[in-house]
Amino acid sequence: MKKRNNINQQRAGLSRREFLIRSGALGVAGVSLPALLAACGGGSSGGGNSLFFDNWPLYIDPSEDGAVGTVERFNAASGVEMTYTEAYNDNDEYFAKIQPLLGAGQRIEPDLIAPTFWMAGRLISLGWVDKLPLGQMSNLGNLEDNYVKPPWDPTGEFSLPWQAGTAGIAYNIDVTGREIKSTADLFDPAFKGKIGMLTEMRDTMGLILMSQGVDIATISSFDQAAASFDLLAKAKADGQIRAFTGNDYIDDLVSGNYAACVGWSGDVLQLGKDSPNIRFVVPEEGGTLWADVMVMPKGTENVDAVAKWLDFVYDPVEAAQITAYVQYFSPVKGVREEVAKIDPELAENPLVFPDTATASRLKSWANLSEDVDAQFADAFSGITGA
Amino acid sequence: MNSLRSRIARTGLNVFAGIGLVYLFMPIFFIVLFSFNKPKGNFNIVWQEFTFDNWLSPFSQPSLTSALWTSLQISAVATVISTIFGSMIALALSRRSFKGSGVINLLLVLPLTTPEIVLGSSLATLFLGQTFVSFGFVTIVIAHVMFQVSFVALTVRARIRGFDWTLENAAADLGATPWRTFRLVTFPLVLPGVLAAALLAFALSIDDFIITFFNSGTTVTFPLQIYGAARVRIPPQINVLASLVLFASVALLVIGTVRGQRVQAARASGRKRPK
Amino acid sequence: MMLAKRADGFGLGAIAVASVCLVALGAGWFDGPLNALVVLVLVSVVLGVALIAAVGGPEARRLLAPYGLMKPGLLWMALFFLAPVWSLVRISLSTKESRFSVQYDFTWAFENYTRAFSDFGGQFQRAFLYSAIATVLTIAIGYPVAYVIAFRGGRFKNILLGLVVIPFFTSYLIRTIAWSTILADQGPIVSVLRTFGLVGVFEFLQIMENGKLLNTPAAVIGGLTYNFLPFMLLPIYVSLEKIDPNLVNAAMDLYSSPTEAFRKVVFPLSMPGVFAGTLLTFIPAAGDFVNAQFLGNPNTTMIGNSIQDQFLRQNNYPVASAMSTVLMVGITALVLIYTRFFGTEELA
Repeated sequence: MKKRNNINQQRAGLSRREFLIRSGALGVAGVSLPALLAACGGGSSGGGNSLFFDNWPLYIDPSEDGAVGTVERFNAASGVEMTYTEAYNDNDEYFAKIQPLLGAGQRIEPDLIAPTFWMAGRLISLGWVDKLPLGQMSNLGNLEDNYVKPPWDPTGEFSLPWQAGTAGIAYNIDVTGREIKSTADLFDPAFKGKIGMLTEMRDTMGLILMSQGVDIATISSFDQAAASFDLLAKAKADGQIRAFTGNDYIDDLVSGNYAACVGWSGDVLQLGKDSPNIRFVVPEEGGTLWADVMVMPKGTENVDAVAKWLDFVYDPVEAAQITAYVQYFSPVKGVREEVAKIDPELAENPLVFPDTATASRLKSWANLSEDVDAQFADAFSGITGA
Repeated sequence: MNSLRSRIARTGLNVFAGIGLVYLFMPIFFIVLFSFNKPKGNFNIVWQEFTFDNWLSPFSQPSLTSALWTSLQISAVATVISTIFGSMIALALSRRSFKGSGVINLLLVLPLTTPEIVLGSSLATLFLGQTFVSFGFVTIVIAHVMFQVSFVALTVRARIRGFDWTLENAAADLGATPWRTFRLVTFPLVLPGVLAAALLAFALSIDDFIITFFNSGTTVTFPLQIYGAARVRIPPQINVLASLVLFASVALLVIGTVRGQRVQAARASGRKRPK
Repeated sequence: MMLAKRADGFGLGAIAVASVCLVALGAGWFDGPLNALVVLVLVSVVLGVALIAAVGGPEARRLLAPYGLMKPGLLWMALFFLAPVWSLVRISLSTKESRFSVQYDFTWAFENYTRAFSDFGGQFQRAFLYSAIATVLTIAIGYPVAYVIAFRGGRFKNILLGLVVIPFFTSYLIRTIAWSTILADQGPIVSVLRTFGLVGVFEFLQIMENGKLLNTPAAVIGGLTYNFLPFMLLPIYVSLEKIDPNLVNAAMDLYSSPTEAFRKVVFPLSMPGVFAGTLLTFIPAAGDFVNAQFLGNPNTTMIGNSIQDQFLRQNNYPVASAMSTVLMVGITALVLIYTRFFGTEELA
């Protein structure tokens, strides 16, 4: 005990001069600048019992107002030390960030990311993700039937849905002055300059294509979509469309800059009773059905921790906590019953647990071939004006 | 008649300048005001009700706080490197003309006359093609040093122009070693200019968005965090942290002004003393 | 002795050769073994100069000193400013191996430039138009404010100058987002205009569209003006501050009219400030994408938005690089022309 104290004192007594000499010696010893900088930046914790999940923002129940969030509950239950970040803001931007690394065969820091289904499909076909440790899961049977071997992951080995949802029309009834029912309303000249669209091509174009009678579940060539792209291009040129945005459409909607826009169900539901003037509708012509799915980027080391996490969130009791907060479709069986125990009203909401009438209007996208996807992306970015 | 007209013109100009100041402060007023807002939902955009909560928990957003911390680290490292490199260039340029100084001056000005987006995207193309460093902390520091060096060199050069460098020769003549001459003569002379340049470089670095955006990889700095947040959620803590930075700089300004006046007064009285 | 007298030539030569070596390494001019040769040249040049300094005596060391001081900074700029420009131009003439590849083949692919002009001509035009208007507006606002502070600030000069700078200590993005709140449809400005029935007037002036101020060209130009105002105001202030008030008084005595004194004395003497301010405002404004993104609409995007989108969302590095190159060349050309007509000796 005494000896240790001595050492500590010696450490503390390290003079500034000595420190400078030592740092100088470090430099002489050939520690390169990048290495020093990297040391300052702090590397990842690496191996062992840790887990790094980079997810979309506001996509999990946090620890607040006395409730313990899912991340903290998981850490306590599993003994895994999980880092949960919300830096996944945009599929295309995130892809551009990880492409130089994964494309060169290097690994990225997160062990788990949650791209939207089509981006997951791209990562899978590029071979940039590893197979999930599904064999180590005991709750895999809770996966809802319609997500088993989905189009973007035909073998079902690489991805598990995090949450799913629908894109429809969100509107501010104070500004529109009337109920909105159909996608055609977005092109009503009365709302000129007050309409918003999403930068997420499949949601914006999905609604327009369905309103033009095109089936997005079977679409396979750009020609089928050309007329719909023209419609959007004309609306943009006419000044009908105020902006193409990500999640921030909700802010323009609340502040009254938008009359109506393409939006996501959960966002509007999360606004809750405070904003009764903001409403969401699955248009008559149909809304899109999408899923954000968990995948492991190639080279992930913390596979065991990933398995524990997947098992945890596929337990309907835990998944119900997430659903009650984010209010999107859960891919886990039995969640509705669990949600009913927490919030009976929510369990009856067709925008969280779609009834057959709503479900019949929802369509999910076909898996576009790479060439066709490129054509769609090009045409869309040409219209968004960027 | 003439004097009345000129007085009107004078007043008019002063009023215009006053309106100019109000214009400059308009968004600042809103930023500070909304730091006291209790937003409904995720966006701190519509005024709801007054609260002190955000100020009591400025660091309650972990991602925001860690982004700020990352930014401070990056700016500190980049500023130290660029201040040393830039000051050395300025010292070299300020003494005597030498071969090639014209070309070097041009090279220093070029980064300032190149749009940030070109600097950022071109540097990214350099990093794309190699495997030595991956996008992240290191590439951001490299990028920041690259544009800071010019600012530091030009600022320091402007500050130390016209100094009496014969003092150095005098010190050398008196037998001082070059290192001793630098430490006792050159360094104290250039220090104020170097510090001013370092402050400018730090300010430029910590608020840089465009160049960083192209070279950040998955590293998130404070501006990048705001950019990300702007599309999902704008917590009032962003306004609180921005207001804090603002108030800190106002405090620095006030202290600087008061001290400057004192130094001036002291100098003035010092000058009087011999009489 | 000869060696010592020519030491400065060696110093400059060494920096030049070392810079070229670094550009060659950074931009990947050569493959494999040739790179080793480049490193060898780089090392031998550095060692050679050190040798000259060692054997050349004090005269050589005195001549070499400035080059030694500049070396780290200049080599950093060679590697991270010049080499990137080279690789930018190179990628702008390359084609991707496949859509998501990070490998590029240099093929003199001029079609990237054709596409940059054909698909993004409007964005180029808007970038130059908006930033030109914004530059003129910053002069119109910045000059009078700088003038009042410089000539009438008295002992409040420093405080007033501080007040001008302080807003820019808050983050660029936060300021821009704050403007989107101020200009919103239910925001304070539009509400006031509506109350006083001025919306029609503003629509006639094409400042407002459809009763909205946010997401219009005017909002984008306004944002650019605001964000780059200090880059105009401060250089003007610096050049005004240098003017001896006695000169103005003398002019007043001679010309009698203050307007004329301003026109013939003050304004010409402040031109260096206006010149520097114009460059410091126009150049960053032309490449900006933040204002157009937060304050504009899909018909007001500038070239910065396109470069950002093609580079960071579409992974289309060749076309993005072509647009960057065109922007760089266009601005350099404009700066050269501008310098020729209005230029003063110094830029900064």
